[in-house]
Amino acid sequence: MQAELAFHARRAARVVAVTTTRRAARSGALWGYVFGAAVASSAYGYARLYPTAASRAKLAASFSGNAGIAAVLGPARRIETVAGFTAWRIGVVLTVIGAIWGLLAATRMLRGEEDAGRWELFLSGQTTRRGAAAQAICALAGGLAALWAVTAVLTVAIGLAPKVRFSIGGSLYLAAALVAGAGMFLAVGAFVGQLAASRRQANLIGAGVLGAAFLLRMIADSARGLAWLRWASPLGWPEELRPLTGPRPLAFVPIIALIAALVGAAVAVAGRRDLGASALPTPEAPQPRTGLLRGPTGLTIRLTRPGILAWVAGLAILGLVLGLVAQAAGNALSGSATLERAIRRLGGQHGGAAAYLGVAFSIVGLLVSLAAAGQVAAARGEEAEGHLDHLLARPVGRARWLAGRLAIGATLVIVSSVVAGLAAWVGATSQHEGIGIGRLLQAGLNMAPPALFILGVGVLALGLWPRTSTPVVYGLIVWSYLVELVAAAVTTNRWLLDTSVFHHITPAPAADPNWTAAAWLTGLGLLAAVAGVAAFRRRDLVSA
Amino acid sequence: MSCAAPQDVDGRVSPSYGEIQNNLKPQAMTAAILTEGLSKTFGRTRALVSLDLEVPEGEVLGYLGPNGAGKTTTIRLLLGLIGASAGRAEIFGVDCQASPVQAHRRVAYVPGEASLWPTLTGAETLHLLGRVQGQVDPGYRDLLIERFEIDPSKRVRTYSKGNRQKLILVAGLMTRADLLLLDEPTSGLDPLMERAFRECVAEARGRGQTVFLSSHILSEVEALCDRVAILREGHLVEVGTLAQMRHLSALQVEAEFDAAVPDLSAVPGVSAVAVDGNRVRCQVTGSVEPLLRVLAAAGVRHLTCREPSLEELFLAHYGAAEPSSEATRAG
Repeated sequence: MQAELAFHARRAARVVAVTTTRRAARSGALWGYVFGAAVASSAYGYARLYPTAASRAKLAASFSGNAGIAAVLGPARRIETVAGFTAWRIGVVLTVIGAIWGLLAATRMLRGEEDAGRWELFLSGQTTRRGAAAQAICALAGGLAALWAVTAVLTVAIGLAPKVRFSIGGSLYLAAALVAGAGMFLAVGAFVGQLAASRRQANLIGAGVLGAAFLLRMIADSARGLAWLRWASPLGWPEELRPLTGPRPLAFVPIIALIAALVGAAVAVAGRRDLGASALPTPEAPQPRTGLLRGPTGLTIRLTRPGILAWVAGLAILGLVLGLVAQAAGNALSGSATLERAIRRLGGQHGGAAAYLGVAFSIVGLLVSLAAAGQVAAARGEEAEGHLDHLLARPVGRARWLAGRLAIGATLVIVSSVVAGLAAWVGATSQHEGIGIGRLLQAGLNMAPPALFILGVGVLALGLWPRTSTPVVYGLIVWSYLVELVAAAVTTNRWLLDTSVFHHITPAPAADPNWTAAAWLTGLGLLAAVAGVAAFRRRDLVSA
Repeated sequence: MSCAAPQDVDGRVSPSYGEIQNNLKPQAMTAAILTEGLSKTFGRTRALVSLDLEVPEGEVLGYLGPNGAGKTTTIRLLLGLIGASAGRAEIFGVDCQASPVQAHRRVAYVPGEASLWPTLTGAETLHLLGRVQGQVDPGYRDLLIERFEIDPSKRVRTYSKGNRQKLILVAGLMTRADLLLLDEPTSGLDPLMERAFRECVAEARGRGQTVFLSSHILSEVEALCDRVAILREGHLVEVGTLAQMRHLSALQVEAEFDAAVPDLSAVPGVSAVAVDGNRVRCQVTGSVEPLLRVLAAAGVRHLTCREPSLEELFLAHYGAAEPSSEATRAG
């Protein structure tokens, strides 16, 4: 009996570790599959598209020494080999994705759980604040181990393929280099989660650190003579590990030292501060900012402004990056007959940089649509949370509220797609690529109609079946993208392909925009939105 | 009256509610709230069944019922947040379902559970809700902020549940609207704040505002309300002033005798007789005169007489399994 009680007490004391490890490991393993898929697509894709030594040499010539490409993807080393190309193509991208995952996972499982009040139950039992933080960090280490393990197993398996041929040791080392960013930013997230007053604030500080590190690395990789600066950025260290192209394990020293220092600091701060409190002085009593708070639409702008700015800035950066790499990537495309065929099948008429941008802009279309879906989800959220009651119980018409939200969503869609096109022109022009500004603005605007259609369908769903509106818009986007990605390669069934909203736009600037189809998409979206507003005026408000 | 006249069981057209009103009080003001056969069904649940209720201007009405009786459903129907399955409702003569925006100009609503925008501060929330309402008494707002001890410079996220409730109370009261629709407004408030709230309702009554106070706190209703409506499983089972209700219900009598207790069971109007030594306890409905005569003749030494409390009235309605259909026609 005594022993049983002691056993339960020990289990209770480890409750944070147990609950968190399971979630962290599941999340880490899931992203491990994504990392593995990236390795596979890069290695197999290279082997298939550039089968001969000559085509590989041409590719290497067009990418090596290109500062725009190096700023985005890091310096190209030995990309005339499958190993060198793979390590280069995915290195920076996966390091940054891993860093974002690490930051968000750490703040969610440490600070997010605390903010939600779930730790209060544990801490009123057998666990101390310091102990809870230490356990959660151990659990996050488990998540990192799961990420590395799945990535490593998949990389070894891919490396065994005859066209790829990585050594097993090289594969394991590559996996470790790919998850190094995740490890460092797990530690950053754990530490800033202790400093900040809320998870949101912790994420903002962490994102600032990540942005600064990325900027430093970008400068170091693109400016001649500043390569030493790479050692000043945590995101430069995984590059210096140089997986598959001449490993330098010594670069693990600063990585591990940073992780150890941040984890130690996080545990120490966690033991000293109060639950729910901040170690940083928080700016209390902010001055009231009432400029926008004049009515429902002003309120919507105020509430969605951070998200709107993030989408527009994100699409501007994406457009800039696509523009920067367009010329080099376009030249590389010209070397691959397979790729050129693929672009012609999509309706592309122009070659080179325009062809590359035509394909790459599908990502812009996807993101603009996701921004539109986010606006629908936010409108539904206002209703589900009961915030809308406060407006509609006052002299505010339902149509006025929903139409205001719709107008803001449509403005976001149009502005962010035009900004993406403009930024792409800035990037391309800085690399002396001669695509005109008009063509790239049109290419950006070409991405708006599917998003406007999705916005309209979302409003219709909100009016008819409120609880389905968020799944409907995200489901429609995922379905359309899958059709574009998978079905378009294997079938020519028009009925199936037409169910994708993205299928009705041309790959501008590789082809001219199809304004007739764009008008249809926009018109149908508008019709759906009008019907949705009419239905919304008649139905009951529905909480979550 | 634009609605069809209600028909009785035999299909004969009975005079409409409005006609009766006009016959009784030809110069009657528009009622603050008027509902006719107002009903709401959610799936197979009948949340509100044919509610007929009139709240004259300037009255404080207590709307009583246990959880799930249909109190919130009534208020959401009056606000047009949900649509009626049958019947209609008016606020100051404006149809709540057909023209909610116009109806809301004269209404302030305080929900029982304040889910507010977490990123706005208290001051920003009050500013927004005041601008949306289009009508604020700034002096009174500041007085309310002081009275309810709110720190409006903090973000709503950092407020406790009680503080959020106080903020939403201030947002409703500061408009000095003609009709206050309060849905369990004091949930989560401490006794001091509860007292401040009662002060505010008394002030509102003094200014001629109409108050519709949904509650299950009986002492609050007993202290504040002119009339009480009792709701049970979606049916209105009782409406009237407390005095009327007490009049209709039994008086609690306790008597002590020097000698033996007389037999009271045959006295008209007396029921529930319980004898304990030389003491007796019973209930009287109607006139007390026959009982007093018997007691005096038997040599009563000590006598206490007590009207039923609201709690006893309220609980009396929840003994029966089914509400009687004629009780829904009270009022």
